[in-house]
Amino acid sequence: MIELSLNEVDALAARAARGAGFSWGLADDVGRAARLLAGEGADWSASLLALLERAPRLAPPGAREGAPLCPVRMAAYLNDASTETGALVLRDVALPVWFDALLKTEGLWRVETDLLAATADATLTRGASAAPPGARRASIWRSAYDALNALAARLYVPESDRSRTRGAGGSRVDED
Amino acid sequence: MTIAPRPPNVVMRLKRMGASHPTRLSFLRAQIRRVAGERWRFARARFELDDDGYGQAVYSLATPSRTYSLVAFSTRLDDSRRTDRVIADAWDTSFVLYDGLPDVAELTRLWANVPLQEAGRYTARELVLARANKSVRQFNAVIDALAKGDQPHREDLLRVGYLLRTTAVYGNGKFGVADRDEYAERPELSGPFQAEMLTVWLIRAFAFDLVEHIAARRNPAAARLDAGLRRALGVGNATGLGMAPYLVRHPVLVHNWYFARETALARVRSAPDAASDACEAFAAALAEFQARVALWRTQDPEQACAQDALVADLDLLSREAPRLLREAQPWDALYRFAEARCSLEGQEACVALLLEPHGALIDDLCETMSADERQGHRIDGGLTCGAMRALLGDVYGWANAIDFATPAANARFWYVSADKLEPRLGERFEEDGAELEQPLAVARDALALARVLADEDGRTPLAEFLARRPEWRHVARRAQTAARFPYAEIRDNLIAADMRPIDILRAKLAFFGARNFDPRSDRWLRITLFSGEPGIEEICASGRAA
Repeated sequence: MIELSLNEVDALAARAARGAGFSWGLADDVGRAARLLAGEGADWSASLLALLERAPRLAPPGAREGAPLCPVRMAAYLNDASTETGALVLRDVALPVWFDALLKTEGLWRVETDLLAATADATLTRGASAAPPGARRASIWRSAYDALNALAARLYVPESDRSRTRGAGGSRVDED
Repeated sequence: MTIAPRPPNVVMRLKRMGASHPTRLSFLRAQIRRVAGERWRFARARFELDDDGYGQAVYSLATPSRTYSLVAFSTRLDDSRRTDRVIADAWDTSFVLYDGLPDVAELTRLWANVPLQEAGRYTARELVLARANKSVRQFNAVIDALAKGDQPHREDLLRVGYLLRTTAVYGNGKFGVADRDEYAERPELSGPFQAEMLTVWLIRAFAFDLVEHIAARRNPAAARLDAGLRRALGVGNATGLGMAPYLVRHPVLVHNWYFARETALARVRSAPDAASDACEAFAAALAEFQARVALWRTQDPEQACAQDALVADLDLLSREAPRLLREAQPWDALYRFAEARCSLEGQEACVALLLEPHGALIDDLCETMSADERQGHRIDGGLTCGAMRALLGDVYGWANAIDFATPAANARFWYVSADKLEPRLGERFEEDGAELEQPLAVARDALALARVLADEDGRTPLAEFLARRPEWRHVARRAQTAARFPYAEIRDNLIAADMRPIDILRAKLAFFGARNFDPRSDRWLRITLFSGEPGIEEICASGRAA
């Protein structure tokens, strides 16, 4: 196990989400939710890998039928929208643990669902859920760490000779 | 008459930001005032170095409520491996700022990790991780002189300006060190970069001890380093591109820094008169500034020209200040004179000098310079697409002058290198990798979102648009933040062919309190921190800030 600071959790999760194809803004949301899950002591990394693996096949908000609902995109909509009120029932939300965490980051909705399920229905009511006592550090298995970093690495540009000399502004042994 | 703060369209331009000077609100100055005011106590808890200066040292700082320690490791480094680039893998000295006083078991753990820097792992007890290399030119020269009972050559030494030069200072959770959230509530570390500044100040004390120790081992009758030289020397720092995206990624923090400084300037300019002691303090600060500029060395032709202009500006200000300070709203008269007659370097130097005598009026603003970036996260999706478009026009109106269809305006792209995971700047039309561009082309993307929104029904809620088009989410979020925090954005094109990243770096470093800016290319520069400031051991002994 590797111990991580919560900022490392946030940054790693956001980069992995972006590497897996989420937009920059949604990836930032995922980073924040990962920090929240890690602070709750939840196993954020395994469920994140499952989420990122399934993400391309999940449905956006408003899709009529078929695939389970993408928790990231649906939570983003609910966090943004101020017009939605009252109670909502959503069918077949993928990785409900992430749906719950993403909504908790803004604290506008309370969610009832099966947090351990791969896909579950979710009932939402307006109002903040109580913030759990936060852990200040997180841990991650080496295999999950490597897998998330591999997704994050899709964002990196390999160095060329040109970028090595130009990109950072010159390399030499210091003479002062 | 109350003078308003200078508007963001004036302040947040790269050329002006790149002419920034440190002020009394800068983070290291704030730290010095706190340490003096609270009478912290400094002790060399361990100093276990061999004749060549290799080994470990622990310096402790007792605040009214806690103890912090600098843990220093000094190791042998082959000259050929000494590089300032972040790609280095070995350094002369390495450090952590430790929360408490480490016991032997903790020191053993730190010995096994700290010299490795990024390749080691750290815990929440470590607040800051840093390393520094020796000045090849001056480190041994100083030891040689001291060992002979002499003082080093003043001019040569001050031309370099430091004995140790940090090449990275990491905090806020990097490599496992404590998140800022862990200590942000502690008053002594709540201001921006206070833990980092404390670390650098302690490294400066270690550098002096290190040369004196080695000299004394060579010759027990060796000289101590002259107090005037100690005062003049800082800690060197080489700052590269890696720091530039930070300012773009922390819009609320940037707003708070600039808003505090501009509020301070507005308060001073609004003062109805100038007390005689404030006029004297201003004259003294100006004379000190002139002396410092005379020692400021750079190899960069553009910076050298700017410094020539600065010298002339400071002469002009010193001649005209006595007359201007007799006018109504004298400090405003002085500022307006500088604005009309001086270069950007001179104008920003004038800002720093105007703030200097006015601690009682402005120092409280230091308490407003931190930020919780999370307050910029929530997107108001109830806003209509029409209103969002209007908001973009308001916030990014300055960007309309940029034509991103021209190659020169769209010339660069920011990316993260696979080798060192560090920010880099590429040439869009000459290099591969532009499809992996980082979202730092703020102006271009804001204008593009405005165009896309023009095709939407203006009454559509933004939340619905973003649910369909999540690729615009970060742009909408940023624009809404910038609308609430007017100094949040650098109001220039960050991907232009002629953009100089060192302007961004200098802006940030001036807020730290850095001096002696010396650009080594358009993308990295040398500075010193704490040059001209008292030593931490002096301040702790006397309890007075100079």
